[in-house]
Amino acid sequence: MTAVTLAGAEADPRRRLRALASQEALLAIAVIGLAIAVGLYNPRFLAARNLSDVLLGNAYIAVAAVGMSMVIVSGNIDISVGALIGVLATISGTLAVNGAPIVVAWLAALVAGVLVMALQGVIIAYLRIPAIVVTLGMLSILKGGLISVTGGKWITDLPDSFHLADIEIFGALPFPVFLMILVTILAALWMRYTASGRAIYAVGGNAEAARLCGISQPRTVVMVFALHGLFAGAAALLYATQLRVIQSTVPPNLELTIITASVVGGVSILGGVGTVVGSTLAAVLIAEIASALVFTDVSPYWIRAVQGVLILATVIADILRRRRMAGA
Amino acid sequence: MSEIPLPQAAKRVVPWWLLRHETMLAAILLVALIGLGGLNSRFLTLDNLLNQGRLTTEVGLIALPMTFIIVTGGIDLSVGSIVGLCAILLGYSWKIFGFPLPLAIGFSLLVGAAAGFLNGIVITKVKVPPLIMTIATLALYRGLAEGISQARSVRGYPEWFYFIGQENLFGVPAQLWLLLIAIVVSAIVLDRTTFGRTLYAIGNNETAARFSGLPVDRVKLIIYTLSGLMAGLSACVLVSRVTTTRSDMGIGYELDVIAAVVLGGTSIFGGVGTIWGTVVGLAMIQLLKNGLALTGVKGDATIIVIGAVLILSTLVASSLQRKREGI
Amino acid sequence: MMTDTQTEVPSAPLLSVHAIEKSFPGVRALSGVSFEAARGEVHALLGENGAGKSTLIKIISGVFPPDRGEVLVDGRQVDLARPDDARRAGIATIYQELLLFPELTVAENIFMGHAPRAGLGRIDWRAMREKTNALLASLEIHDLQAERVVGSLIVGNRQRVEILRALSQDARILIMDEPTAALTEYDVTRLFDIVRKLKARGVAVIYISHRLDEIFAIADRVTVLRDGAHVATKRVADTDAAELVQLMVGRRIESLFPKITVPIGKPVLEVKDLERRPLTKSASLSVRAGEIVGLAGLVGSGRSELAQTIFGVTPAEDGEIRIAGRQVDIRSPAQARSLGVAYVPEDRGTQGLVRPMTVRENFSLAALGKVAFGGFIDRGAERKLAGDGVKRFAVKTSSLEQIAGKLSGGNQQKIVLGKWLANGPKLLILDEPTRGIDVGAKAEIHRLMGELAAQGLAILMISSELPEVLGMSDRVLVMREGRIVAEFSREDATQESVGAAMMGSHAKAEKAA
Repeated sequence: MTAVTLAGAEADPRRRLRALASQEALLAIAVIGLAIAVGLYNPRFLAARNLSDVLLGNAYIAVAAVGMSMVIVSGNIDISVGALIGVLATISGTLAVNGAPIVVAWLAALVAGVLVMALQGVIIAYLRIPAIVVTLGMLSILKGGLISVTGGKWITDLPDSFHLADIEIFGALPFPVFLMILVTILAALWMRYTASGRAIYAVGGNAEAARLCGISQPRTVVMVFALHGLFAGAAALLYATQLRVIQSTVPPNLELTIITASVVGGVSILGGVGTVVGSTLAAVLIAEIASALVFTDVSPYWIRAVQGVLILATVIADILRRRRMAGA
Repeated sequence: MSEIPLPQAAKRVVPWWLLRHETMLAAILLVALIGLGGLNSRFLTLDNLLNQGRLTTEVGLIALPMTFIIVTGGIDLSVGSIVGLCAILLGYSWKIFGFPLPLAIGFSLLVGAAAGFLNGIVITKVKVPPLIMTIATLALYRGLAEGISQARSVRGYPEWFYFIGQENLFGVPAQLWLLLIAIVVSAIVLDRTTFGRTLYAIGNNETAARFSGLPVDRVKLIIYTLSGLMAGLSACVLVSRVTTTRSDMGIGYELDVIAAVVLGGTSIFGGVGTIWGTVVGLAMIQLLKNGLALTGVKGDATIIVIGAVLILSTLVASSLQRKREGI
Repeated sequence: MMTDTQTEVPSAPLLSVHAIEKSFPGVRALSGVSFEAARGEVHALLGENGAGKSTLIKIISGVFPPDRGEVLVDGRQVDLARPDDARRAGIATIYQELLLFPELTVAENIFMGHAPRAGLGRIDWRAMREKTNALLASLEIHDLQAERVVGSLIVGNRQRVEILRALSQDARILIMDEPTAALTEYDVTRLFDIVRKLKARGVAVIYISHRLDEIFAIADRVTVLRDGAHVATKRVADTDAAELVQLMVGRRIESLFPKITVPIGKPVLEVKDLERRPLTKSASLSVRAGEIVGLAGLVGSGRSELAQTIFGVTPAEDGEIRIAGRQVDIRSPAQARSLGVAYVPEDRGTQGLVRPMTVRENFSLAALGKVAFGGFIDRGAERKLAGDGVKRFAVKTSSLEQIAGKLSGGNQQKIVLGKWLANGPKLLILDEPTRGIDVGAKAEIHRLMGELAAQGLAILMISSELPEVLGMSDRVLVMREGRIVAEFSREDATQESVGAAMMGSHAKAEKAA
């Protein structure tokens, strides 16, 4: 196939693959590079114990970010996921403490997650209320609901079998890390190889064109939110089973961290592009940065600011890139 | 040529549904006031009502520029974080940098305005959508607040500083005067000035507004800067009222503010809305909180109701608007 | 000219559109339009903006149904309630705003919604790539790869992706809406190659364009629409450009345009070698006080773009503008306004009027400074301004507080005009001032224009209605491909001379034949 290129008008053929790979490759390089840099400054950072703690403690963010990435790719946003995770953890823990079979306690979190998110999806897609309003409202309902129901009490006497984090797959891989990898791979495969997975990209990229291709935007959005709820449920379980207690408040700023992971992972906030592999790598990177702050004697209170700068820079770069492309 | 009827005198005709919305809301407010007053004798006392006014100020000051912003079809989610940032910088510039307190107050206001200005500049020049920009700055400004303060708080402000937050002026809480003045000024600006008219034009048809020679970008820049400035003012009032500065101040303000504005009849899609509506919305929400508290519901739980109110009022407003446009 | 290569004589035309009527609130878009296209025919659809072409196309594409009339494919009536129905009937449409997914690849864009599957129902990316390559080869496209991201493609290639998408769905009827609007000459040639290949396969191509030279190059027959009605269908070989222009724009001159002789003053606007990509190449013109200069040209010649550059919406990249003799650099409409320039845009609804706002508010929108003191709007002054405007322009409205969007087209246009005049401008640029307006309102606007000129305003009138241009103008300028190519005095301007200049050399060649 002869490649007759018009005078410099078009970019290199493999640009897409290269571009995509570069975002994820960049992240992978950043993860490794940061580890080396901090390790040089403070070798204790590279101790196996620390690295596994970092991964273990933050795997749930990556799992939630998989769902969030799907939502953002479809052209929407969700800021209620942090509150939902708190609520789901409490539901699950309460059931466990009150003698329900552990499996039921786990499933309850997943089912409740799907239902709540699917409800939001329906309001957004069929009632046409902007996602920001719906998820902002739901965030408050969940947050307030949690406080009222728990009355401030923490759940402390969880049965041992509840703790997913203790399970080790193949005797070596902690369950949370295993789940993170599994979910990422499954979601990535689904988004690449199924029609409904591709429909998310279509709806997020050009909803009108998608409609003319026979893709129903409302149905796709509800499906995406339902899946997001499933992953939020899984994340809630991991979150709940890390510590021995479940707090009565929603984890602060969790949704921001999750959104940052998605956006920095290459998911464009305008929709239509991005992968879950990227968001998982970004989640790992963010967790790594948080830990690095501790080991380099920088106050950990700066982590939010770092996230803020990352997300702002990524968003501006993305908008500028799109404007350049549109002008071409 | 056929006769044209003379223009009708004086009657300010407003889109029918909005008129209905505001009066409906005011009617509900009145009913609720009476109802709650009947249920609980402590409610309708002047003391209580004035105190509620005092508590509304911090959210209310921010709800005014937010009304401007939502009327243009934009949104600002970073206001809560700006409050936190300004509160922190108020404390720090005074305690750590050694500014005299009045200067520290001025500095804090300046930071708020700068934070809003950054939002505005990126929104108008880089053309990042307001929703996305202000989610990013919501993270950034909160992060700066946390980083600068290292989660330490500041206390021990001089007595005179607590006047605005805690004392009365002519029998009315001092900060409430501030809010009232701000309400009157905002209402006049939105309703009677060319600036206000420009806001409505942008919200209804930004392209036609530009084609008519209106300074769209400049106006947008001003309202986002104003939003930041008012968040800073709100922070000062808040610190004055609770006597300490903490980095978690202002968390969740955006919910109360946006809920009040939307409840008051401002359409989330832009082009429609009034300051009076926002005031009624603020009153309703404060009333809800107070009412719930008086019947024993804990403070935190009231946000459930606020969240539900936000979604429901948007639903109602949007279906009414669709019906109106379908005519 | 290629003869049709049909492998069989069809018993019925492939596409037949019969007595289509369609109205929207306040406007009759199509009144009894019929035409047909045969297998392997390229049938051009010609008409000015507002003639009804895009409404007709949307009906055939299933975007909305007609009020009356039928569409038949292969002699059988098809019910086109949704775009999907059209697709299934073998009808594919390529719109001007290309409906593509910029972040996805060429292959995926082509096969979105009907991707080839492998085992377990998973998407077979390899088969997709291979099928895309096959499609590319079948049209002999060699500079496009299946894995390219569509967003990185130039317009010509993006359009090709859309064509391939239509082919991947076995479209037998392909509708192309202004396909060459944004293409280079080279791309246009390649497009024609593809169209010819499609013809050879028996695909009927409905080709909408203003560019007469293209129609003569590629089409077999042409149907002319005007004001929502079918004017004529001709074989391209049997007609010429001049006749087509006459059919497109020629109208009975229904009323004598009242042309008052007005003393012409000094130049208010002087434009020299103005340039703004992509459409304004190097335009020069001048308009003097009291003068009405008509700017004629085929749609796509760049007239509105020139106006918007002068008005500051899309500031000039090169060249010079002088207002009242002084050189200015106009960077925004606000600036233009302050210099005394007013622009009544072509697109009333999006650019001219804020439809949800009231008549009063629209009237004052460009002249807020005049009814405001220290920033405060004086309601009384505003009502007076609007009231005066309503009287002066005879705007039929129940009150000043009526929502502007509910008024008729003519009244809306009067408001847009009125709002600018409230400002007391020196230069008034009118872009298609009487399009989509009933006869009575048209006459009123023309009368107004005459009065304004008598008051010393300089008026630049862009219009596609030749009688209007000829009747109203003191001088007629013709724009073609981003340049002013001809100027006629009032005496020398005729439909033939202006029409010829609008079309350029092709018309001359046609006339010579």
